[in-house]
Amino acid sequence: MESDTEQMRAVKEALHVSTAPSTVVCRENEQRRVLEFCKACVEQEKAGNLYICGCPGTGKSLSMEKAKHLLVDWAKEVGHQQPDVLSINCTSLAKTSDIFSKILGEAQPRKKVNGSTTSALQQLQNLYSQKPRSSAMKMMLIIADELDYLITKDRAVLHDLFLLTTLPFSRCILIGIANAIDLADRFLPRLQSLNCKPMVVTFRAYDKDQILTILQERLLALPYLVFQPQALELCARKVAAASGDMRKALCVCRSAIELLEAELRKSSRNFNLSTVEKALFEQQTTAADILRKQEIDVVRLDHMVVALSKTYRTPIVDTIQSLPQHQQIVLCSAAKLFHGGKKDTTVEELNRSYMDFCKSTLIPPVGSMELSTICRVLNDQGLLKVGQSRDDKSKRVTLRVDEADIAFALQGIRFFRKCFRQFCSKHIDS
Amino acid sequence: MGREKAAKEALNLLRGRLCDPTFVFKPLSDSPESNYSKLKFIISSSVTEACNNSILLLGPRGSGKIAVLELVLKDLFLEYPDMISVIRLSGLLHSDDNCAFKEIARQLCVEHDLLFSKMASFDDNSQFMIAMLRECGLAHKTVIFVLDEFDLFAQGKQRLLYSLLDAMQSITSQAVVIGVSCRLDADQLLEKRVRSRFSHRKLMFLPPSKEDLQRLLGHILSLPLDSTLPRDYAVEFNAKLQNMLADEKFKQTIYTYMDSDATVNHLLRFLFRAVSYMDLGSGFLALENFKTALPNIQRQPKLECITEYKSIHDTFQTSDYYARNVCLRAFEHLQQRELISFTDNRGHNQSVEFRPVKLLISSYELQKGLKSYRSCPVILLKLMDREA
Repeated sequence: MESDTEQMRAVKEALHVSTAPSTVVCRENEQRRVLEFCKACVEQEKAGNLYICGCPGTGKSLSMEKAKHLLVDWAKEVGHQQPDVLSINCTSLAKTSDIFSKILGEAQPRKKVNGSTTSALQQLQNLYSQKPRSSAMKMMLIIADELDYLITKDRAVLHDLFLLTTLPFSRCILIGIANAIDLADRFLPRLQSLNCKPMVVTFRAYDKDQILTILQERLLALPYLVFQPQALELCARKVAAASGDMRKALCVCRSAIELLEAELRKSSRNFNLSTVEKALFEQQTTAADILRKQEIDVVRLDHMVVALSKTYRTPIVDTIQSLPQHQQIVLCSAAKLFHGGKKDTTVEELNRSYMDFCKSTLIPPVGSMELSTICRVLNDQGLLKVGQSRDDKSKRVTLRVDEADIAFALQGIRFFRKCFRQFCSKHIDS
Repeated sequence: MGREKAAKEALNLLRGRLCDPTFVFKPLSDSPESNYSKLKFIISSSVTEACNNSILLLGPRGSGKIAVLELVLKDLFLEYPDMISVIRLSGLLHSDDNCAFKEIARQLCVEHDLLFSKMASFDDNSQFMIAMLRECGLAHKTVIFVLDEFDLFAQGKQRLLYSLLDAMQSITSQAVVIGVSCRLDADQLLEKRVRSRFSHRKLMFLPPSKEDLQRLLGHILSLPLDSTLPRDYAVEFNAKLQNMLADEKFKQTIYTYMDSDATVNHLLRFLFRAVSYMDLGSGFLALENFKTALPNIQRQPKLECITEYKSIHDTFQTSDYYARNVCLRAFEHLQQRELISFTDNRGHNQSVEFRPVKLLISSYELQKGLKSYRSCPVILLKLMDREA
C-alpha cells in the first residue's frame, strides 16, 4: 500500500497545472514563429511588436516562458549581445502607467529615479528618440501578459506602449498577450496608419489529438500505466469539444485519479476488516493481491465519466431537486409565469401565481412574509433575481435559470407532474 | 438534585448546544461521504503532497458551510501543527482589491511576527504576498485562503482572484483557496481567465435528508449520561425523547416546518423555541412544546391584531353596536398593522369608510390565527368556516 500512495502522488504531481513540462508539445509552430521574429529583431537590432492571442489554457504564457530562455541561449551561442528580459503581468500594476516606470527601470537600471516633472513615458520617449551615446545598447524583450488590463477609456497607455517600438532608436521587442483576437484591430487603429501593426500569432484552442498528446507526454515519465487509454481519449474528446482548455483537461484527470484513490481506500478498508487474520498467516502476494493490482490500479472509463460530469454539469438540477417544497412551488409558478415569453414580473404577481398553484394542489400556502423570505433565499442562491423597490410587492422578479432545467429537475416528482404536463403540451404546440 | 433543578440544568445544556454550531454539525460529519470528510481530504492531501488546490463551498444561507469549514480547520491544526496558516477574507469587507491586499498583508504579518506598515502601497502589498507565498512554499507551509461571500469578490475586474489563482499556477507556492458562497452559480460569475485557473471543485451543502434529520435531532436533544445530571433522569429523558422522535405526528410537525426553508439553521431556531417551552415541572420534552413553537415562529406579529378584525366584523354582522369612532379606530389599527390596505392610492378626500379595502393576509392565515386566539367568539369561527 505504501508504494501505491507514492505512485498516486507522483501521478498527481505530473498532472498538476503548476508542473511545467520539460518540452512544450503541440505548440512547435507558434513557438517557432515567435522565436524567429525575436531572432530577426535581435540580429537586425531593430525594434518590433508582436501580439499573441488565444483562449485561456492554450499554452500562451507557457510557450513564452520557453521562448524567452531559448532566445537568450541562442543569442549567447551566436555571439550577439544577450537581450534583457522583462516579464510583466499587467494585472499587478496599480496604475496602468506604471508599466512605463518598469520599462524605464529595466532600461536604465543604474540611473537614479529623479523626482523630475517628466513622466516615465516621456523619459523613455526621449531615450529612444536620440542617438544613444554608447553604441552598444542592449535589446529589451518585453513580455506583457494580460494586455487588456492596460486598456483605459482613452486607450492612451496601450497606444503609447506600442508606439515606443516605432521610435527611431527604440530597442524594445514588445510581445503582448491577451485573449481577444481583435485587440490589435479594435484598440490600436493608429498603428495601422503608421504601418506598424503588430504581427498576430493565434494560439488556437487545442483539439482532441493535441490534448491526448500532451497528456501522454506528461505521463511518459512514469514507468507504470495509470490510465486506461480509452479513459484518456474520452477526456481529450470532451474537453476539446467544450473549450479546448488544457487546464480543464488536467483538472479532470486529477479528479479521476482522486476517485480511483477513494475507491482503493474503501476497498482496502473492507479488505483489512475481513481478512485481518488471513494476512497474518499467508504470504503477501496472494492471487487476490495480484489481481487487484492489475485491474484496480488504473483509472477506468467509469472514473473518467464521473469526473467529467462533476466538472461539466451544473449543480442546478440537483439543487432544485433538493429544495424544500414551497421553494420548489415558487420556482415552478415563476416558470409558468414566464412561459409565454414574458421577461419579468413583480413579487405580487408571483404571489398570485403561487397561491393559485397551492389552491389547485390543495397545499396550504405560506404567508406573504414567508413568501418574501423564500424569494430572498432563491435570490441569494442565484435561481431568481429580485430587484430593489421601496414597496415589497412591486419588486421585479426574473428567472436566472432556464425553464427547461426547472422542468427537467421537477418532472420526476409526482407532485409537479401535472403542472409540467401542461408545459410540455404547450411546448409542442408552439 | 430536585427534579426542577435538574430540568433547569438540562434546559441550559440543550440551549447551549443549539447555539454552538460545532456541536450541531458533528454528527453530519461522521460518514466518509459527508462534506466534512471530502473537504478534509482535499485540504490535507494538498498539505501532504505540497500542491495547490482551489474549491468552492456552495449552499443556501444557514446550511453550515462555515461551520463545517471551521471544524475541518480545527482538526487540521491539530493534525498538522505549524504546517498551516489561514488567511480569512470576506466579500462584504474586502471586495475592493486595495483593501483585500492590505488585509492579506496584515494577516500574513501577524502570522509570521512581522511589522505591518499601513503606508505600504498596493504594489508593495502584492509583491509581499507573492514573496511570502514563495517563502512558505519553501518551508513546506501551506497557506489557506478562506474567501467568504465569494460572489462579491467576482465583481469588477476580479484582480484579487486572478492574482491568487495565478500565484497558485507556479510550483513555488503551496496554497489552497476556499471560496464560500450562497450563489450556486458563483463560478459562472468568474471571468474566463479566472475560471480557467479555478479547479472546478464544488462541494454542495444540500439540506439534510430525512434520516439525517432524525439522527441530528437525536444527537442534539439527547442528554449525556455521564454529566452532572442525575443518571436516571437523563435515561428517562432520552427514552421519552426517542419515543417522541419516532412518533408520526412529531415527524409531520417537523416536516411541515421544513417545507418552506430546509436549512439547518432554520431548524435550530425552531428547536430553541420549542425547547424553551419545556415544562420544568415534569422535566421532559413533549410534542406539545413543538406544536406551540410552530405557529409562534411562523406568524407571530399578525395574531395579536386579530382582535381588531373582530370588532369590524361584529358591526356588520350582528346587532351589537359599537360606537362609530371605536370602529374607525379599529380600522386604522388594522391598517397600521398591515393586515388590510387601501386598493387605490388616491388622495384622502373620500371618507375612510367608503374607500375600497383589501385583505393582506390570506384566508388560511386568518383561519389559523382565529383558531389559536383563545377567547374568540364562536360566531366568528363559524363565519370563517362558512366562507372557507
